[in-house]
Amino acid sequence: MNRLEAVIEKEKEVSYSQRDKDVFSSHLLILIHQEEESKRFHRKLWLGLFLGIGIMSFSFSAINEIVNDFAVGLSNVMAGDLTTVATLSYGLSFVLLTLLKKTDFIFN
Amino acid sequence: METDEVLVKRTLGGETDCYGVLAQRHADYLFGLGMRLTAGNRDFAEDISQQSFLRAYKYLKSFNTKKKFRQWLTGIAVNCYKDLSHKENRYLSLEATDEPSYTPDFGGNTGFYELIRPLTEEERTIFTLRYVYEYRIDEIAETVGLKSGTVKSRMSRALEKLR
Repeated sequence: MNRLEAVIEKEKEVSYSQRDKDVFSSHLLILIHQEEESKRFHRKLWLGLFLGIGIMSFSFSAINEIVNDFAVGLSNVMAGDLTTVATLSYGLSFVLLTLLKKTDFIFN
Repeated sequence: METDEVLVKRTLGGETDCYGVLAQRHADYLFGLGMRLTAGNRDFAEDISQQSFLRAYKYLKSFNTKKKFRQWLTGIAVNCYKDLSHKENRYLSLEATDEPSYTPDFGGNTGFYELIRPLTEEERTIFTLRYVYEYRIDEIAETVGLKSGTVKSRMSRALEKLR
């Protein structure tokens, strides 16, 4: 027991010193700042994703509604007058083809 | 000089630099504790010290300013010691080596390191806190998260091993 006590007493007298305390604390602060930045970035990322998904689902439902309205409208037109539908289709195709041929006019 | 509690409050108030002051103030203590727990493994002790400060910062809001900051930090360091011991094999392989040429890292009282080497992590912690840092049993129990009775029995077992 005396040997044990002697070793413990000797150990109590030892003083330990962290190397380069200034560097150590600066390094700690840098790590803390990095961690906080990373957390902030992740928070923004999640918020962005959440908002993005929200906006997209809202947009999709709106687009879906427009497409439905268009389809219903078109079917009404088709049910009503086949000549009008054909004229509209060919007219639209003609306009699109003309535009495709005149890409210079559009893009320049 | 501002007290630890004031520095903690200022840190929580957004003055992160105050934490640097706290770290400087307790760096030697934590490093010393790490050296003792790891039986003189300097790299391990430095990692324990760094991880403890980082973890302490993370949980700073949970610190009860009515208690001593150093004791709270000790609890965190003990947990870091346990976690790092289990996660990082490189420390264990160093400690478990049977190489006769192996000697613990620089400085310190090698007699103490040799003494505590047969003890388990928990026994080392309890033994060191009790006999080197002179913590009371209830303080150790609170720090390591055990009941006072369990601390006493672990300490008896540690002493048995050392005799």
